[in-house]
Amino acid sequence: MARYGMVLDYKSCINCRACETACKAENGVLQGRDNYRIWVGQKEIEGEFPKLSIASMTYHPSQCQHCDNAPCQQVCPTNATYYDENGVVRVNPEQCILCTYCINACPYDARYVDDRTVTVDKCNFCSDTRLANGETTTACQATCPTKVRTFGDLDDPNSDIAQLLQKREYKQVKEHLGTKPKLFYIL
Amino acid sequence: MKVEISRRRFLQGSVALSIAGGVSMSPSAIMASASASTKPEDIGKTKKVATLCEMCVNKCAAFAYVKNGVITKLDPNPYFPKSRNMLCPRGNSGLASIYDADRLKYPLIRDGEKGSGKFKRVSWDEAYAYIGEKLTKILDEEQDNRSTVAFCAGEGMAEHTFKNFYTGFGSAHFLNHASLCLATTVSGYSLTIGGYGQADLENANYVVMAGANRAEAIVTPDTMDFFRRTKGRGAKLVVVDPRFTNTAAKSDKWLGVKVGTDLAFVLALTYVAIQEGIYNKDFVEKHFNDFESYKMHILAGGYTPEWAEKITGIEAADIYEVARDFMKHAPRAIYYQGRRTTWSKNDFQLRRAQALFSALGGGIDVKGGICFGKSIAMKGHEVPAPIYDQSKSRIDSSEAAVVGGSGTWVGFRNKVLEERAEYPIRALFNYKHNPMANMPNSKKTEAFLKKLDLVVTIDTMPSDTVMLSDVILPECTYLERTDPAKVYGGIEPAIVQRNKVVEPMFESKPVIDIMRGLTEKISKPLFEITKKHDEEVQTLIEEEGEEVAYDEYDLTKAFQSTQEELNHHSVANHEGAAESLHEKAVFYPNMDKWFKKLNVNDYEYYPESEKAYSVTNGKFKTPSGKIECNLTSLTRRGIDAMPTWKKEYEMLIPDGQFRFVTGRHAQFTQSGSSNNKMLLDLVPTNYIWINKRVASRMGIKFGDELEVASKVGKTTIKAYPTEKIGLDTVFFIHGFGNKSAELTLASGNGGNDANIIEDSIEPMHGATCLHDTIVEIRKV
Repeated sequence: MARYGMVLDYKSCINCRACETACKAENGVLQGRDNYRIWVGQKEIEGEFPKLSIASMTYHPSQCQHCDNAPCQQVCPTNATYYDENGVVRVNPEQCILCTYCINACPYDARYVDDRTVTVDKCNFCSDTRLANGETTTACQATCPTKVRTFGDLDDPNSDIAQLLQKREYKQVKEHLGTKPKLFYIL
Repeated sequence: MKVEISRRRFLQGSVALSIAGGVSMSPSAIMASASASTKPEDIGKTKKVATLCEMCVNKCAAFAYVKNGVITKLDPNPYFPKSRNMLCPRGNSGLASIYDADRLKYPLIRDGEKGSGKFKRVSWDEAYAYIGEKLTKILDEEQDNRSTVAFCAGEGMAEHTFKNFYTGFGSAHFLNHASLCLATTVSGYSLTIGGYGQADLENANYVVMAGANRAEAIVTPDTMDFFRRTKGRGAKLVVVDPRFTNTAAKSDKWLGVKVGTDLAFVLALTYVAIQEGIYNKDFVEKHFNDFESYKMHILAGGYTPEWAEKITGIEAADIYEVARDFMKHAPRAIYYQGRRTTWSKNDFQLRRAQALFSALGGGIDVKGGICFGKSIAMKGHEVPAPIYDQSKSRIDSSEAAVVGGSGTWVGFRNKVLEERAEYPIRALFNYKHNPMANMPNSKKTEAFLKKLDLVVTIDTMPSDTVMLSDVILPECTYLERTDPAKVYGGIEPAIVQRNKVVEPMFESKPVIDIMRGLTEKISKPLFEITKKHDEEVQTLIEEEGEEVAYDEYDLTKAFQSTQEELNHHSVANHEGAAESLHEKAVFYPNMDKWFKKLNVNDYEYYPESEKAYSVTNGKFKTPSGKIECNLTSLTRRGIDAMPTWKKEYEMLIPDGQFRFVTGRHAQFTQSGSSNNKMLLDLVPTNYIWINKRVASRMGIKFGDELEVASKVGKTTIKAYPTEKIGLDTVFFIHGFGNKSAELTLASGNGGNDANIIEDSIEPMHGATCLHDTIVEIRKV
């Protein structure tokens, strides 16, 4: 029993997208531009050459926020979406009927249709791959060149993630929706 | 005659690459291949093999997971200080490289016109015999002038193995990527401060990165160390680049410099530092040679920020600010060396000026500056380096002031094509190099390859160069072979070794096996040619008998041991090293004591007190032992003794035309990864960056097909209008637009810069000028 979450020191992200490749390779996510569990968000730059806004050019790594109060879980008619014993929002492919309510309900756009498992799938913190094999990191965290991510047990006061959250200021995305996301972006 | 022989034989001994000593071996677990087993009892189990990546030049440590003989995943291996604990997108995509269906699978011999793409499958023996036959004929016709055969190699750990073949063969011509890449920056820094060094980006507090793009063109450990400290977290970053890169996005200041004018910028920084007297006077006093001349040169040259503003497009106020800020943070301030520095005619002088400016702050051989680091001694092995009397000297040495052992690729190619060479070049051995894609003006490269009587290419993929070869020898990928163990010197040095993960697929082989098979077949027949034309050898045979004479010319000697045996021998001086390289792919003295996990992401390799920040004891590896301001010896060769701006460096861009620049991003490594489906999944093609306002005036929208044409050729590519580039500049990523029909995903995908870049070279080393091309653009 743990309560898994992830801290993202997003200012270190260089938009190399190693995390996307590692995620796909680890979790068997199919190739194709619409198939992804994690991504790096960016906007087109503001200003005119050579007066450009450096601050407008940020890279925002994102994925399922593993909300404690997950809209996708609430709308799922078959309970395919559920919280596992570690607080990870999971999907049971056996029960998913591809109704896609969850895609519409998720405010973070974290859901996609996996044609391999015929499931509206999403990030599960590598629960059935790496964690099941005894690893303690997710694929995206392990591979990251600038170590943006720290995954761990929020309830363990000695964990790196708990220590980080104790010391550093952070923001959560769309917190006002009451979703209680478990991804924390260090400011 | 006799005297000459003894002189010659003395020379032969001294050119042997390394110390003598047989390879003593004992059978042990270390000698056994590290690769995963496919034995029945291992089916279903996952094995973890430590190895090194080869998706680019960095050689990051990796773990490969293998199940039932198939690699299922590549993960970072945290033991190598240089690669820290990561695998970039390309490292992850090694999976798609080994399991690429388009791989070269069998030896092939051309079976149609050159370039027709027609080949026939042959056995390895047939391929070797064919090469032997052609070579003996060519060498006989050229009276054993070995230099008629040229050798070229792409960067990689086994380049050394291929080079042993070149050394034994006795040609004067070796060509590698240096003149297409880093020749000017390595020599610019080496001749000035005594080494290229390692920028200590873990500790620098102020860094100017000009043209270098470490957020996209990843270099380890620079990329990983640095971008955790930018954005107000310890290190200030100034990016000077004609386009707004991911690196610029991490900067405190980005200066959109006009292409090819960086030298004017650095000279103006130097002017401010000297004129305001804000440089490190103590360091200059102690360590500069002939500073007075440089000071005079800069001040009298009138290299003021106001002067530079007109040339570079960078405001004078910004230049003052950067110069002052740099010196305020010095010695923990670095003008970053850069790597692929083949830009323009002034590349060498630019790197000299950068090194001198960096040194004015005193940030050389100190923590947070440019460090030279330490190495770890390894044992060498002896390879034959015979001398052939008929072998003539390099044809490209007159093409530039200093042409080193890796040649000037463009200078060489053009001299052959234009038939200006003193003797014909008739054959080329090519080891995983793709000059069709990496050398400017691909029309000329194609004509060059067609002109040769024999092109033998060893590679993993059917590149455009492979398709223009006569004989194709399939190498296995890096995950299927053990490569030479190698030391990476630096602040935290280590020995690393690529271990075979799985057995080679199809009929592919590691290059050492290819060399062994080839030399066994051709060594004797080639010696017969030498016997026929080389009087020295004839005399030697008369005096000492054929067996003794042949012993010196036996090409098979360098390849008799396996790579595993050679590696074991090379680290025999270090206890536990062979085991560590086998298990972890990494070794350094005291690793078992010093290597520590700090948290879920980070490791410590060396305690702070053991890191090699300062190693020179105040004596730099230059002729005077000091920082060299004034290299008067170069003037004889027509090279300026001190960095000087010249009017000819200012390139006029006619209205409606653009200056072209090239580069790369993190999801792609040159043409070598152009068919990798995992990487193409991230970035399916390349786009040409064109300024948004200019595009709008020209009616160009995102995704429009554009024809980009220069004096030497054209290419077609999709448009990406953006404000991240200036009004008179266009850019696209190198390596796309391959022609080879055998590359299912890469063929015809995107624009090819080698088609359009003009093939001029700079005067110092004959390195290419990749940013000196003017192009026109039209919608198609």
